[in-house]
Amino acid sequence: MDEELAQLEAELKRLRPAAPSRELLARLERELACSENAGSVSAAVVRRRSRAWWLAAAALPIAAAITLLVTFRARHELPVTPPVTATLTVSEPALFKPVAAENVLYSARDEGLVTLDDGTPARRERLRYVDTITWKNPQTNASVRWTVPREEVRVVPVRFQ
Amino acid sequence: MALFRQNRTHSAPMEESRNHDAWQNWFQLYGPKLLLCARQWTRTLADAEDVVQDAFVRFWRHQRELPGDPMALLVTSVRRAAFDRARRDQRRTAREERAFGGEDTVASVFEPSLDGDDRREAIEAALLRLPAEQREVLVLKIWGELTFEEIALQLDLPPNTAASRYRYALAALRKQLIAADCHG
Repeated sequence: MDEELAQLEAELKRLRPAAPSRELLARLERELACSENAGSVSAAVVRRRSRAWWLAAAALPIAAAITLLVTFRARHELPVTPPVTATLTVSEPALFKPVAAENVLYSARDEGLVTLDDGTPARRERLRYVDTITWKNPQTNASVRWTVPREEVRVVPVRFQ
Repeated sequence: MALFRQNRTHSAPMEESRNHDAWQNWFQLYGPKLLLCARQWTRTLADAEDVVQDAFVRFWRHQRELPGDPMALLVTSVRRAAFDRARRDQRRTAREERAFGGEDTVASVFEPSLDGDDRREAIEAALLRLPAEQREVLVLKIWGELTFEEIALQLDLPPNTAASRYRYALAALRKQLIAADCHG
């Protein structure tokens, strides 16, 4: 890259993206506070998950970790050559990087109008996703993939004009 | 889980944020970058903020404890949320479209700069004129702080294509800025 492009690149890096609006911060505050006080219902977005999926979410990382360990052991144990001093570089932590994350929406159903506790009309949507996150260790090419089904129920207030 | 630990230049503040759950600190640092990325894939500023909200809440609730670079995860999540939103919007009625605002708000994408607002506005205008595929690579590289490999994964491109789009974008930007300078 020539000098001028490098200068332009540096100039662009000095520009700071505009901050999100106060309204967005307030919405995040409400929604994240809502998730901390489990059981309270957010007026804007309500999300529910079935217990079975939570179990799956808990079980999958464990299974992935076991698979990973088995893969590691297999990789390092296969070349059983004569008893030379085996120098496994176990001391260096493996560098797993997330290389892909997908949230695939495979079903969206509009369940029609509902009325919230405060009398506000709202539209309820049921969205079904499959979240997949993949990590890869570029040194060993070992990879771990974590796939979890997820259901969101959104209650969006409706404004009539 | 120590196996998963990795060192990234911007992971230290993340670790601090994770420790005391201060999402505000994290969002103050990275929220503007995410919003700028979101604006590449949404029609309006309001849509971009909704998309960032969705992605960030999902990240904070379910993904913040995951190992690795969270910015790459969040950018993916923002992009996916933007596409999901676009699909849902197609099903909206025209009345709802009007109620929620269909026209993009004319708002600057950058904070006022020390180099002067004229220069910033010229850069913003030049960015808008770039082809979308070049602009998104430029934004992800400069302000999303992703590597070409990460951009390639996000956009499903070969890394070399991402790198060349970045160079074309810079060259086109420079050309437009020179033209703007000439015309005062």
